[in-house]
Amino acid sequence: MFPWVDGFHWTPLHITFLSLFFSALILVVSTFISGAWRTFKDFRSNRAIDLCWRAEFAQLPEAERCCRHQLAGRLDARICDNAFDCRSCQKYPEFAALPARLPAGNAGIGYDDRLLYHRGHTWVRPEWDGTYTIGLDEFARHLVGRPDFVKLPAIGADIASDGVAWRMRKNGHEIRVRAPIEGTVMCRGGDGEGWYLNVLPHGTPNLRHLLSGAEVAGWLTGEIDRLQLQLAAPNATACLADGGALMPDLMDAELRADWDTVLAGTFLDS
Amino acid sequence: MAETLLLDRRWITRGAERASTARFLLWLAPWVFLLLLGIYAAGLCLYYGLNQTNMDNRFAFGLWIFADLSVIALGAGAFFTGFLVYILKQEDLKPVLNSAVVIGLTCYSGAVAVLMVDVGQPLRAWFTFWYPNTHSMLTEVTFCISCYLLVLILEYVPILLRNRQLRKVPSFLVFEHQFHKLVPVLAGVGAFLSFFHQGSLGGLYGVLRGRPFAFRQGFLIWPSTFFLFVLSAIAVGPSFLMLVTATAERLTGRQLVQPSVFRKLGFISGVLLAVYVAAKAIDTYIWLNFTTPRVGFGPSDFYSYQPLSSTFLFLAMVPFGLIPAVLLIVPFTARRRGLLLLAAVLTCCGVLLNRFVLTVQTLALPTLSFDEFLKYTPSWQEVATFGAVIAYGVIVYSLSYRYLPLFEAPKGENKHVSLG
Repeated sequence: MFPWVDGFHWTPLHITFLSLFFSALILVVSTFISGAWRTFKDFRSNRAIDLCWRAEFAQLPEAERCCRHQLAGRLDARICDNAFDCRSCQKYPEFAALPARLPAGNAGIGYDDRLLYHRGHTWVRPEWDGTYTIGLDEFARHLVGRPDFVKLPAIGADIASDGVAWRMRKNGHEIRVRAPIEGTVMCRGGDGEGWYLNVLPHGTPNLRHLLSGAEVAGWLTGEIDRLQLQLAAPNATACLADGGALMPDLMDAELRADWDTVLAGTFLDS
Repeated sequence: MAETLLLDRRWITRGAERASTARFLLWLAPWVFLLLLGIYAAGLCLYYGLNQTNMDNRFAFGLWIFADLSVIALGAGAFFTGFLVYILKQEDLKPVLNSAVVIGLTCYSGAVAVLMVDVGQPLRAWFTFWYPNTHSMLTEVTFCISCYLLVLILEYVPILLRNRQLRKVPSFLVFEHQFHKLVPVLAGVGAFLSFFHQGSLGGLYGVLRGRPFAFRQGFLIWPSTFFLFVLSAIAVGPSFLMLVTATAERLTGRQLVQPSVFRKLGFISGVLLAVYVAAKAIDTYIWLNFTTPRVGFGPSDFYSYQPLSSTFLFLAMVPFGLIPAVLLIVPFTARRRGLLLLAAVLTCCGVLLNRFVLTVQTLALPTLSFDEFLKYTPSWQEVATFGAVIAYGVIVYSLSYRYLPLFEAPKGENKHVSLG
C-alpha cells in the first residue's frame, strides 16, 4: 500500500490503482471534515440557532406555517416561506397595508392587546427601562398548568430569537419554549410570577415578527381548533364546537392524550 | 394515537403514523431470532473454520458469494438513484433517495459482513489493504466496496440525524444541514466507486481462463462480464427499490410515494434491462461461437447437465429479461401497478439467477476430461448466515422507517399568494 510496505511496486498499474483509491478516500474524508468545519463556523458566527430554527420550521405541517396576514384576514391563504421572520420579509409592507378583515376580540381564550405574541406561545412586554419581559401566554398556561420543573437560563446569559429560551417538564414531557426576541437575561421569574424572563435586547429590537391585534385572535382561534382536533378521541365523528372556555391544567386533566404531538404543535417543535 | 400504544412516540417523526410499539416488536421478533441464529452460525465458522461449510477446494464459491453478488447488485439502487438525483438532476426521484441509501447501506454492510466470515481470519482482514495485489479484480472489489461502504455510512448520517430526538441537539441539526449540502460530492464518488466494483465483480469471473463457462473476451483489461455486471446492477437497482417501497406500502397500509415515481423507476429499470438483454445476447453469441470453440468446448459441454441446463439461459433472457423490460417500458403495462411490480420481481429474479449461474454453475461444470459435474448443497451454517443478512436488512430498514423520515414529500409546495 505504501512504498515502505513489502509488496509495493513502482509500476504504472500499481501507482494508478492506489492513486485512484487514495483520491476517492481523501475526497470522502475531506467531505466529512468540510461538513464538520462548516458546522463549527456556523456556531462561531451565531448562525447556528437561525439554521436550527429554519430546519425546524421546514418540518412544521403546512397548516401551522400560515402567514400572519392570513390570520388577520388580509389574505385568503398564504404559507410563510420565511420562518415567521417578518423582519426580513419583502412582502410584509404590501400585505400589512391591507385592511384586517377579522376583528380582534373573542378568540376562545384571553389575550392582551398591549402584549406582542410569538407563535411559540410566549408574549413580550416592553418595560420603561428598555428591557422586555417574556411570559407564557394564556393558551400555553392552560395547557401546561403548573410545570413540574422549569430550567431558566442564567442571569447574564444570551438568548437568541427562535432559539430555546427555557425548558420545562410536565408529566414526563420536556417542553422547549422558544425565545420571542434576542437579548441578555436580566431577571428570572417563574410560573408563580406570571412571567419567566426579563431581557435586555442587543441594540434597538425589531419586533415586527411578533403578532398583535387581529392577528393574535386569528392565530389563537386556529390554535384552539388544532388542540380540539388533536385531543379528539380516535375515530371520533365530526362535531360542532358549542363554545365554552378552555379548562385550566389540561395536561393533568387529560393524561391519556397524545401530549407529545400536542406540545410539539404548540411550542413549534418538530 | 394514544401514547399507551406508542411508547416510543417521542422518537417517531411528528405527524408520522406508525404501528403500536407491541406490534412493531412482534414484527421484529422473528427477524431478530434469524439474525441471532446467523450470528451463532457465523461464530462457528470463524471459530472452527470453513469445515463448518460444505465448500471445499474445488467448490470454493458457494451460497455466501452468491449472496454477496446478489445483495451488491440489488443495493445498486443506492448509488444509481444518488447519481440520477444529484448528478443528472432527476429531482422527482428525491422522495425515494433516503430509502435507497438505507437499502444500499444494509446490502453493502451485509455483504461485507458475510465476506468477512467467508474469508475468515478477521484479525488479518487488513492484509488485503496493506498488501494489495493490484492485478487482482478481487483487490479492486475489496477496495471499492470498503470505500463505498464508508460513503454509504456518511450518506446515512444526515438521514439518521433527522431523527426527532437527535434533531434537538443543535450541533447535530446544523451538521445535518451543512453535510446535506455536500452529499452530491459523495454521490459522485459513490457512482465512480460503484461502477468499478460492480464491474470488477463481473470481471472476476470473466478472467477465469480455467473456467470456459465464465471466461469472456473484452475490452483492454476488462472482460465483457465487467460491463454486463454494471448494466445488470443499474437495471435491477431501481426495480428492487420499487419492490422494497411497494412492500413497505403494503405492510404499513400507507402510500409512501407517488405512482409517478414508481413509473419513472420502472421506466429507467426497463430501458437499462433492455440494453442489458441485448448486450447479453450479443455476448452469449460471441462466447458460444468464437470464445469457447477456441479452447475446445461447445455449447453441449455447458448445457447438457441437469438441472443447470439451457433452461437457465432461456429464463435469464426471456422471462427474466425481455418480458420485464417490455412490461416496464410500455406505458400501458407500466401504468398498472400489479404488472409494474411483477416486472420488478422478474427483473430481480433475473439478476439473482445470473449471479447464481456465474457462481455455482461455473464451478459445477467439469473443465477437464476426467472431471465430474460437481454438486454442492450449503450447510445449515451457510444458510443461517445468509438468512442473517436478510434479517439484518429487514431490521435496519424497519427501524429506519419507524424512526427516520425515509419518504419525504418534496418541499417548496408553498401556496400561491392571494390578496384579500
